[in-house]
Amino acid sequence: MKTLKEMLAEARRVVPEEGPADLERRLKSGDKVVVIDVRDPDEYRDGHIEAATNISRGFLEFRIGTAVSDPATPIVLYCQTGLRSVLAAKALRELGYATVINLQGGYQKWVQSGLPVVREVPMTPDQIQRYSRHFLLSQVGDKGQRRLLRSKVLLIGAGGLGSPSALYLAAVGVGTLGLMDGDVVDLTNLQRQVLHTTADVGKPKVESGARTIKALNPDTNVIPLPMRITVDNVMDVIKDYDLVVDGSDNFETRYLVNDACYLAGKTNVHGSIFQFEGMATVFAPNEGPCYRCLYPTPPPPGLVPS
Amino acid sequence: MQATETVKLLLGIGEPLVGRLLTYDALGMRFREVKLRRDPKCPLCGTSPTIKDLTIHMAGGGACALGADSPGEAMAAAGAPAARPGG
Repeated sequence: MKTLKEMLAEARRVVPEEGPADLERRLKSGDKVVVIDVRDPDEYRDGHIEAATNISRGFLEFRIGTAVSDPATPIVLYCQTGLRSVLAAKALRELGYATVINLQGGYQKWVQSGLPVVREVPMTPDQIQRYSRHFLLSQVGDKGQRRLLRSKVLLIGAGGLGSPSALYLAAVGVGTLGLMDGDVVDLTNLQRQVLHTTADVGKPKVESGARTIKALNPDTNVIPLPMRITVDNVMDVIKDYDLVVDGSDNFETRYLVNDACYLAGKTNVHGSIFQFEGMATVFAPNEGPCYRCLYPTPPPPGLVPS
Repeated sequence: MQATETVKLLLGIGEPLVGRLLTYDALGMRFREVKLRRDPKCPLCGTSPTIKDLTIHMAGGGACALGADSPGEAMAAAGAPAARPGG
C-alpha cells in the first residue's frame, strides 16, 4: 500500500507548481486560464481568490467538464495549503487536461503574499428574490451578481444620459454608484432626465438622483458628489471607482474625463446625444482608441449649439 | 446602451464597444457601427504622447483644444459622425 507521502511525491513529480505571484501575473495578462478552488464550499465562502470557481475535490472529475470546455485551457488548482489540490491536479491530468498547475502553498500562501481575496456575504432572502432572474442567466449567475454588488461605478452627469444609466445600474444591483453633478433640477430637464421629479425642481440633481436610486434599489449605495468635475478633483474622484460612465454635456468635460481615465487606467463608457441622434463607445486604456483618437480637436465654438 | 456596456464590462462578458462607435438615429430608427482605430499620433495614447498629466487642462479656457491638429485618424469608415455637444 502507498503512503500518503508517496502519493503526494508522485503527484508532485507530474504536476507543475506556480506561486501566488505567477498566478497573479496570469490573471492580469488576460490570457485564458481557469482557476478552481477545490476546497469545500464553506471554506470557499470564508474567502477565496476572486477569479476562482468552487468545485470541491469530491466533485472535481464530475464537474470539470462544465467549467472547462477546452482541455487545452490552462487550469490552476488550489486548496488551503496545496496538498489536496496537487492530488486533484494529478487526477485532471489523467483525464486528459493538458496544462494543470498547482498553486504552490495554496490559499494560505496567496493570503500571506498580501494578494486580494473576496469573502462571500450571504445574500438576504430579498436579494435572492430580487436578482433571481440574473441567476437564470449563465453569464451572470450568483457569482456575477456578487461581482456587481461589489462594483463601484462613477456617473459623470445626472442628466439626460446619466439618468437612464443610473436607473439601470441601480436596478441590476451595482453596489456603489457615485453620482457627480453640480446642477440643480430645472423644469426644462424633466422631459428627459428621468431621475428627477416635478417636486425636485430647484434641488441639487445628486439629491433627487440619490433618492430615486435608493427607492429603486436599497442595495445600491449612492455617493452624491454635488460638484462639477474639474482638473483639481478628477483624479481624486475617479481613483475610488472601477469604471466611469461619461454622461457629460460639454467637450471640455469629455476631454478631461478622457485624459484622466486614460492616465488612471480606468475604462470610460462614453455616450453623447444631440436632438434625435446619439452615439456610444467604450474607451478602454491600451485596448482601444481614446476620445482624442476620435476627435483630436473639439469643434470650434459657435459651430455646435450648447 | 451605456448601462448595458457597463454591466458587460463589470462582469467581463460579451463583446464591449471597444474600438467601435455605435450611432443611433432616432428619426430614421437606424443604428450604424463605425470601426475605430487607435491613432499612433494621438497626443494621449499614441506612440510618443505629449500629454502625460492634466496640466493641459489647467490654463484657463480652451484646454480641451490642445492636442494633435491632424484630422481624426481613428475613423476607419468614411462619413463618421461629428462630435455631439449634448449630454
